[in-house]
Amino acid sequence: MEKELIRSERTGDSCVHVKHRSGLDIYICEMPGFSSVEALFGTKYGSVNTMFRQKGDADFTTVPEGIAHFLEHKLFENEDCDVFELYAKTGASGNAFTSFDKTAYLFSCSKNYQESLRILLDFVQKPYFTKETVDKEQGIIGQEIKMTNDNPEWRVFFNMLRCMYHEHPVKIDIAGTVESIAKIDADLLYKCYYTFYNLNNMVLSIAGNISADEVLAICDECLKDCDDKGLETVFPDESDTIVKSEIREKQPVGAPIFNLGYKCGACTGEERLRKTMVASIVSSLLSDASSDMYQRLLKAGIINSSFGTEVFTGDGYFTVIFSGESGSPEKVRDAVTDEVDRMLSEGICEKDFQRIKKSTYGMFVRELNNVEAVANLMMNSHMDGVGPYDAINVISGITSEDALAFMKNELRRDRLVMSVIEGEG
Amino acid sequence: MRYNRTELSGNIGFSSIIDEKFKTAGLVVRFITELSGEKAAANALGIGVLSSSSAEYRTLAELNEKLSSLYGASLTTFTRKRGDVQVLGLSASWIDKRYAFDGEDLDKEMLGIIRGCIFEPNAENSEFDADSYMITKNDLLDRIDAELNNKRGYALSRAAEIAFRGEPAEFSCYGTKESASKVTSAEAYAAYRKLLETAQVEICYIAPEEDPAVLEMFRESFGAVSRNSGKVTFRSVSPAKPETITESDEFDVLQCKMVMSFKTDSDDMFATKLLSTVFGETPVSKLFMNVREKLSLCYYCACRYTYSKGSIMVDIGVERENIEKAKAEILRQLDEIKQGNITDADIESALLSLDNALTQIGDTPSSYSAWYFERFCDGEIVTPEEQYENYKKVTKERIIKAANSLSLDSVYLMLDKEEQA
Repeated sequence: MEKELIRSERTGDSCVHVKHRSGLDIYICEMPGFSSVEALFGTKYGSVNTMFRQKGDADFTTVPEGIAHFLEHKLFENEDCDVFELYAKTGASGNAFTSFDKTAYLFSCSKNYQESLRILLDFVQKPYFTKETVDKEQGIIGQEIKMTNDNPEWRVFFNMLRCMYHEHPVKIDIAGTVESIAKIDADLLYKCYYTFYNLNNMVLSIAGNISADEVLAICDECLKDCDDKGLETVFPDESDTIVKSEIREKQPVGAPIFNLGYKCGACTGEERLRKTMVASIVSSLLSDASSDMYQRLLKAGIINSSFGTEVFTGDGYFTVIFSGESGSPEKVRDAVTDEVDRMLSEGICEKDFQRIKKSTYGMFVRELNNVEAVANLMMNSHMDGVGPYDAINVISGITSEDALAFMKNELRRDRLVMSVIEGEG
Repeated sequence: MRYNRTELSGNIGFSSIIDEKFKTAGLVVRFITELSGEKAAANALGIGVLSSSSAEYRTLAELNEKLSSLYGASLTTFTRKRGDVQVLGLSASWIDKRYAFDGEDLDKEMLGIIRGCIFEPNAENSEFDADSYMITKNDLLDRIDAELNNKRGYALSRAAEIAFRGEPAEFSCYGTKESASKVTSAEAYAAYRKLLETAQVEICYIAPEEDPAVLEMFRESFGAVSRNSGKVTFRSVSPAKPETITESDEFDVLQCKMVMSFKTDSDDMFATKLLSTVFGETPVSKLFMNVREKLSLCYYCACRYTYSKGSIMVDIGVERENIEKAKAEILRQLDEIKQGNITDADIESALLSLDNALTQIGDTPSSYSAWYFERFCDGEIVTPEEQYENYKKVTKERIIKAANSLSLDSVYLMLDKEEQA
C-alpha cells in the first residue's frame, strides 16, 4: 500500500492518494488551520447506470429508473437502527446524494472524526433491505419526486435533456418516477448493491482537520477485502442529433425560465477535463457579464442577473447550457447563435481570452479554500479519471484557437435545444 | 484567528477577522435599517445599483471586465430581512495576492473599487445613471416575480406575512411589485443617501493578513458623510394571535406545502434553540423520525427558530389528503416535549449537533462574517465556543418550559388544485 503525494506546483496544495489493499482508492487532504472534516465515500453508480453486467454474466441486467437513488436512501437503515442515530452520538452531520453518475455518502464534523469515519465505512459496507423497509421508502421518495417535479428549474433542465438525448439514460429523472420505483424490491437492491458497491468501483475522499496515518489505520480496520468483479456498464447507442429543438411547459411560475443547451460530443478522462475547461471559457467569452451580448440583452430587458452558463458532462453526455429567466427566450437563443457566428468570423479578442483564463484560475483557487469543496474535488476528479489539481495545469495550456475550434465543431445550430417553463396566466 | 472590533464615529462598527489559512480576502458592508413596506423597495434599488457601475467604472460591462481581470473577483449587493429589520449591503471577495501570477496588488485594487461603488456611485444631479438604474430595477421586479418559482420559499414567505401581520416583518425585504415599479431613479438615489447617512453600519473584513488601509479607507470615506444614525431594535417579539388562523392559496402543483407558525414569549434563547433542534432541526429530531421515517408522510419536515421574532416555523411538503394527519402528528410531537418526554440522549445529540455546527464556523469566510454579525444583532459578541458553553448550561426543565411557551399562531397551506368531478 503506497502513498502517492499529489501536489499543485501553482498553489502549493497537496493531497495523498492510496490504493488500499481492499481495492478502494483513498484520497486524503490534511488542511492545517481548519476545524472541520468532510468525508465522502462514493461509488461510480448513478441514475445513468441502468444496464450492467459482471465478469461471467452472459447478459446485461436492466433495472428500473431511480434505483441508484432508492438504494442510497435505503442504505441509511441497517439491521439495528437508523444510521443517523449513530451519527447523533458523534455529532457529525451525515448525508448522501445520488447524481447522474455517482452516489456518495458523506459526513461533516469538527470533533471525533475517527468514530464518524468508522460509522461511514461500516454502514456503506453493510446493506440491509427487507420488504417492509422498501415499502416504507416508497412514500418518502414519492414525495421527493413530487417536490422536484414542482421545481421549475428541475423541470426545465430535464425537459431539455429529453429533447437532446434519444436513448441515453441521462434524460431520466435521478429519482425515477412514482411508477418506476414501485417496481423496486429488496432483491433488486441487493443485486445493484453487490454490483456497484464493490470497493474497486469506489473512492473515499476525506479533507480537513485530519491525520493521514490515522485515516489509513481506520481504513485498515474497517475495509473488507474485495475482489474486482469486472463490472461493465453500457449505454444505448446515441446519435449525434437532437430529438427536437424546442419544448415548452406551463407551470405556476412568477418568472418564465429557460435552458438553452448545445449537444456536444461526449468523451472521457483527460480529454473530457480539457474539453470542459475549453467549453467553460467559451461560454464565458460569449456571455459573461462583461460581454457585448450580455449587455445588449440586459439593456433590452430580455435577460436579468439570473442569466448564467454551465458545462454539464459525464459518461456519454456533454452539453453547454445557457440558462436564466426571460419572457423572450427565443431572442436569447438568436443572440447566442448570432454571437457564435460573429466570433467564428471575427475571431476572439486575445485580451478577453486571457482575462477569462485568469478568472477561471481564480475560481479554482477559491475552491481550494474550502474543506467541503476539496473533498468533493478529490472524489470527482478520481471518478473522472484525472488528478485533483489537473484543471489548473490544463487551463494554462488552452489557446484561443482551441476555443474557436470548440465553437466551430460543437456549438452547432442543429444541435441546440430550447426548453422553456412559462406561467399559466 | 484574530478578531477585533472597532467603533467608528457615527454608529459604524468595523470587525476584522484575520486567519492565515484563507486563500481569499473579503469585505461585507451592511446597512441596517427598520423594515418598512413603503421604503423597502427604494432601499433595495438604492443598494442594488451599487454593484452595476460606479463613477470610475461607468457601465456594468466595464465593472465586470475589471473584476474578471482580478482573477474573477466577486462584488455583489444583497437585501435581506432579519425580523423587523432590513439588512442591505455589498459583499466582495478576491483571491489573496500570493496566488496572483504577476504580483498584482489585488487588495489595493479591490479596496479602490469598493470605495468607488459605495462612496462615488454612478450618479449625477441626485439620480443614478439611467442604464444602471434600469438594469437594477428590472432585476428587482423579476426577482419579486420569481419568488413563486421556489415553492418552499414562497410558502415560508406567505407564512411570515400571515404570522407577523401588522408588524414590519410581514413585508418582503424587496417590497411589492407595485411599490418597486413606482420608484424613480431619484427616489432610489435619495433612499441610498439616507442609508449612507442614517443607517446603522457594520463592516466586516476577513483576510489572511492585516491591512490597515481597509479601516482607514472607511474612516476617511464615512468621515466625509454627514452621519446622523440611531440604533436599530433587532428584537421585537411577535405576539401570538388569540386564536389560530389558517389561510391557503391554490396552485397547479403536485405537492402541497404546510407551514405552521408557533410563537413564544420566552427570552430563553438557548433553551428555545435546543428545543427547536430536538423538535425538528436534525435527522434524529422528533419531526424527522416520526413524521417522515415512521409515518412516511413527507420527504422533508423541519423547523427553524427566529429569536428576533420569538417564532418557530415548521414546514412540510405533503399530500393534500395527509395534511390533517401530518398536522396532528407535528402537534403530538410538540406535546410529547411539553410533557417532558425527551431523553437525555435527545438533548445530548442536539448539543453535539450544535457543537459540530459551531466549531465549523471558522472554516469559511462567509460563516465567520455571518456569525459575528448575528451576535452583534443579538446584543452580545461571543465566540462560537462561548456560545456552546451557554447551550451546555441548558437543563431539560428549561427546554420543557420553552416548549410550553409555544402556541400555534397560524397555518399557511399551499394547496394543489382539486380535480373537478
